[in-house]
Amino acid sequence: MRKYLLPVLSVFGIGFAILTVLTGSKSLPPSQPVVDPGEPPFRSSVAGAGIVEANTENIAIGTIIPGVVSEIHVSVGSRVNAHDPLFKIDDRDLKAQHVIRQTALRVAKANVRVEKAQLDDVKDQLVKAEILSQKKVISADELDRRRYAVQIARARFDRARAEVASVRAQVKETETNLDRVIVRAPCDGKVLQSKIHIGEFAPAGVTQTPLMLFGSTEPLNVRVDVDENDAWRVYPDATAVAFLRGNRNIKTPLKFVRFEPYVIPKKSLTGDSTERVDTRVLQVIYSFERHDLPIFTGQQMDVFIEAPDRATPPGATPQAVGEKTQEAR
Amino acid sequence: MLVGNRAKYLGIVVGLTFASLLITQQSAIFVGLMTRTFGFLTDTALPDIWVMDPKVQYIDDLKPLKETESLRVRSVQGVAWAVPLYKGLLKARLPNGTFQTCNVIGLDDETLIGGPPRMLQGQMADLRRSDAVIVDVVGARGKLASILPDGRRVPMKIGDTMELNDHRAVVVGICQVQRTFQSQPVVYTTFSRATTFSPRERKQMSFVLVKAKPGQDLQTLCRRIRKETGLAAYTRDEFKKITISYYRKYTGIPINFGTTVVLGFIVGIAIAGQTFYNFTLDNLRYFGTLKAMGASDFMLLRMILLQATMVGGIGYGLGVGAASAFGLLSGHTELSFRLPWQLLAFSAIAIMLICAISAALSMWKVIRLEPAVVFKS
Repeated sequence: MRKYLLPVLSVFGIGFAILTVLTGSKSLPPSQPVVDPGEPPFRSSVAGAGIVEANTENIAIGTIIPGVVSEIHVSVGSRVNAHDPLFKIDDRDLKAQHVIRQTALRVAKANVRVEKAQLDDVKDQLVKAEILSQKKVISADELDRRRYAVQIARARFDRARAEVASVRAQVKETETNLDRVIVRAPCDGKVLQSKIHIGEFAPAGVTQTPLMLFGSTEPLNVRVDVDENDAWRVYPDATAVAFLRGNRNIKTPLKFVRFEPYVIPKKSLTGDSTERVDTRVLQVIYSFERHDLPIFTGQQMDVFIEAPDRATPPGATPQAVGEKTQEAR
Repeated sequence: MLVGNRAKYLGIVVGLTFASLLITQQSAIFVGLMTRTFGFLTDTALPDIWVMDPKVQYIDDLKPLKETESLRVRSVQGVAWAVPLYKGLLKARLPNGTFQTCNVIGLDDETLIGGPPRMLQGQMADLRRSDAVIVDVVGARGKLASILPDGRRVPMKIGDTMELNDHRAVVVGICQVQRTFQSQPVVYTTFSRATTFSPRERKQMSFVLVKAKPGQDLQTLCRRIRKETGLAAYTRDEFKKITISYYRKYTGIPINFGTTVVLGFIVGIAIAGQTFYNFTLDNLRYFGTLKAMGASDFMLLRMILLQATMVGGIGYGLGVGAASAFGLLSGHTELSFRLPWQLLAFSAIAIMLICAISAALSMWKVIRLEPAVVFKS
């Protein structure tokens, strides 16, 4: 029996080694993507990262007159017609000024009447003096003084009337300002963002976060960044499809609107001001109808634009390529 | 016969067992180490092609790319999808104040492609939460665990926070991954979060992961990506090979293990060959007798070969068995042990060689033997 011990042990050893090999060679299945990444719908295409925006571009609403906001007429998401009021800056000072200037107008008007009466008075005196002068009751010197008095009174009357016009213009200015504190919608559209509340100070000029973001959202536009190296492959009449990030089933065909004629540096996510940029992107604007799709402004989309192969010589239009392939058939 | 002489029999079997154990176990550790160098590639099995800077020499050699390169790769014909991947080493500050360098992987925000192969707790989709990270179980139990004042280790669990490069990170999942060569804890997060964690750099994307459209020839697609983007594109297996060859070329690991394997081989030859030869010498008279009785050389040779094969087989079996037992015991430690079938074949060939050399020495003696030697003594 003992002489079989080692061979038997050895057979066990080999069996154990084979078992180790079998268990060790098992590999874990790869982790599946949480969201299906989706394939480009075209045989050959240019991929770009798009961001959804209003077809008027996103308008950052500003105010001409700085001040504390006293009224807000719209809420986020509300649809607004052109020239409808959006919000209003506190106008109590302007109202007070209005009252002052209106009063001043009344004073000026009264002043005109005073001057008018005085003018009439000296005119009347002049007429009387002229009669008396003919009868030689008063001297020529006296008559001249009356004449000058009329001239002075007339000038004062003119000045009073000019003052009325001036004060009236001032009243008008206040009224214009009273209108300017009301910020109105520049066009028909939708309030996309509102960062201003009653009681907050709205500075005039460009602010880092716009007071209100506004734009027309029917149809929506999508602004697509295409790497400058691929920019030559994008043709205006090429078909393009946008996929919503997070769900590839939500997709929409795109209609070409325009190229941004100026190629810009790509905006980086880090937002560091000292960052050097070495990528420039061509921006292509497409539009699409939102219908019932859950797509919002500011959202990112993956865009594929059908493009000719790289083998196609630059300058050849897609139609020419199509003709060529048809000829080849 | 050899079995009859117990001391010599045991001696030769022990010698061969030792040689076989040494060769198998050392090679297995070497193979294990080499597998670890591309552990991340083994884990990330979904993409077919890895696109990177042309100067990249191995998986941990990070030369970041511009982010728009992923769009360019996506525009290449035949690419089903292409997603960015961040990989980098970041300093983590643990709740107890210690620092630990972590291997941070940033997955594409939308699809989370490139994630760990197995989630032990939590879900991949939890990475969508704010500040979320997933850590690997070895790291969570080991280097990332907090140590209480009484010396107990508390593993990192879901809900724990740590600081990654001064940014707050919340653990939302525990995953299982292959151990890496440097054995650093692995932290998975999304690409954009990884780039906020990482120090500001102009380029942030380490790799572009590419899946080919069905029916595409991977080599052709690699060539097309290379041609159209000017970047390097390798299939997963190619990248594994590149990584291994880097370690082979620039680290002393293969020489180190190779020396041990060669030593095992030499020891095997020395013990087995010498014992076998001695045994043949001792029994030379009997061989002479057999020869005088008319046994042919061929028959004597077969006798020797049979014995050599038998001890070789026994020694080999015991050796690989012992090596596997060692592997099983060391399975839960930091030691890397990996036994592919090629390695079993390799050690079998080595033992066969040892036996063949030992047998050849004896055979030489027996063939030159004069039957008259029996009467000499």
